Amino acid sequence: MRKETALIQVENVTKRFGQRVALDSLNFTVDKGEILGFLGPNGAGKSTTMNIITGYLSATNGTVKVDGHEILEEPEAVKKQIGYMPEQPPLYLDMTVADYLSFVCDIKGVPRQQKRENIDRALSMIALTDVRGRLIKNLSKGYKQRVGVAQALIGTPPVLILDEPTIGLDPQQIIETRNLIRELGKEHTIILSSHILPEVAAVCTRVLIINKGRIVVSDTPDNLSKGMVGDNKLTLRVAGAEKQALDALRAVAHVVKAQSLGSREPGTVDVMVEAKREHDIRKPVFYAMSKADLPILSMRAMDVSLEDIFLNLTTEEKEVSST
Amino acid sequence: MIAIFKRELRAYFTSPIGFVFMGFFLLVAGIFFAWGNILQGNPTYSGLLDSLTFVFMLIVPVLTMRLFSEEMRHKTDQLLITSPLPITGIVAGKYLAAAAVFFLTLAVTFSYPILMSFFTFFGLAGWEIVCGYLGFFLMGSCFISVGLFFSAITDNQLIAAVITLAALLVMWIVDWVSQNVPTDALSGLIFLCIAGAGLILLVFFSTRSIPATAVFGAAVGAALALTFIFSRGSFEGIITKILSWFSLVKRFYAFSAGILSLSSIVYYLSFAGIFVFLTVRLIEKRRWA
Repeated sequence: MRKETALIQVENVTKRFGQRVALDSLNFTVDKGEILGFLGPNGAGKSTTMNIITGYLSATNGTVKVDGHEILEEPEAVKKQIGYMPEQPPLYLDMTVADYLSFVCDIKGVPRQQKRENIDRALSMIALTDVRGRLIKNLSKGYKQRVGVAQALIGTPPVLILDEPTIGLDPQQIIETRNLIRELGKEHTIILSSHILPEVAAVCTRVLIINKGRIVVSDTPDNLSKGMVGDNKLTLRVAGAEKQALDALRAVAHVVKAQSLGSREPGTVDVMVEAKREHDIRKPVFYAMSKADLPILSMRAMDVSLEDIFLNLTTEEKEVSST
Repeated sequence: MIAIFKRELRAYFTSPIGFVFMGFFLLVAGIFFAWGNILQGNPTYSGLLDSLTFVFMLIVPVLTMRLFSEEMRHKTDQLLITSPLPITGIVAGKYLAAAAVFFLTLAVTFSYPILMSFFTFFGLAGWEIVCGYLGFFLMGSCFISVGLFFSAITDNQLIAAVITLAALLVMWIVDWVSQNVPTDALSGLIFLCIAGAGLILLVFFSTRSIPATAVFGAAVGAALALTFIFSRGSFEGIITKILSWFSLVKRFYAFSAGILSLSSIVYYLSFAGIFVFLTVRLIEKRRWA
């Protein structure tokens, strides 16, 4: 079942640069139609993985298959299916945008009669039409980045691999790029890398966190946040004495733990309450505190963001490996 | 390959490099022509190409230094290598573009003998001239293949240019060196032993397998020993012979004297072919680094 839909299969891929192990037997598959987010600190091996899938580098060990074709055995079949935007967009600075895209059409073997259509489509999707006649070297960084994305779209390859597509863009452009990626995700299978977490959470259907050449976790963004929270936590600010508040909270059904976080406002105390995940304790807590005459001034769920997960996982790894 | 060729050819003339190369070459050729032929009223033309050889050698690096270095510097090699083009096609496209610029430049100088032919009473040595041009083009193509190779070694254009120049100069002086080396059999043996050791090291570093190297080393050693014992004479003058294989210029002089030899043509073509092939291997190998 899984085999049939997996478009990209990465099996036991290891890459060594001299003595340094950049990737340590990486295993994952990407299904058709997925938008996979590659997350990891700098130097984790994101770009190396992408370079191996696209055939720019070869793995020391292991195989990569795209649509059943092995990159080393049938490089052309694989490369035809992939549009790649490397970390640094591969631009010829002395060409105009239109000439450059026309050159990309030629090297990707786009038939002559479809060339124009391909270029126009890429230009309009990335909103580059008004700079098509300008020399690439005179474009701003954001535009250069977009020309890099446009280049990957030429030939409408089924797989798009984008290495940090939003780096160096302003907030407006980042939002545009995200929308673009979502739009592209309808027709293409996408792998994108980033170290900006909200971006990944916003567009990806699955997140792969890698650190030091290993996959730390692979899941949907939602599941990741849930799995991380483990239990259901609330923080409260209560007007009243610490001991009374804790006693009242501990009396509430399903509460596993109540703990003081100290006082930040005179006459109040901040408390953290933990319960089993399946129970929503917000209402019982409210009634219990009201009964005990301890007004709740604020209550919020402790949300775990991808940032926390990310830091947690990547630092945990560090601790494990150092012991 | 055609796409690469077209882009590369255009890049020569959207940057100053193509103009610098053509301009300098034609300036020097023009001066030589004016001095050597017009002002002296000298109808022998083939000497001009001979004297241009050295000047040309000096500016070949200008033509070739950016071919791959620039791609690597701007990371555009990622675009080429991840495209469906085979690496051989990429390298061949670039090589042919550089050769085409050289051909165009050389073609312009062909107007000199045509011009002269209107003013000579005794007729020009037409065959020598055509032959000389063919030889010059073949020799230049070899120079360019050397430059292509060294530009794939580094992402720094200046370094690529300097190494290319050094390599070409070595090939230039090898001709003189080969005249003045010892010719007795023992020196020949010593020279071949050193060369053999180099080959063995090369085998070791490319296979990283000790048994394979040992077998190869034993074969080389046995071949040398047997030849030395049974046909000592064949070691005499061998250093000169081997060194002159690398002399690109010497064969050209035969061309400009009007001697068209098939072996020289094959030699030049295979020399250029080997360097283009080595460039392809170098780029393929880099993926495994």
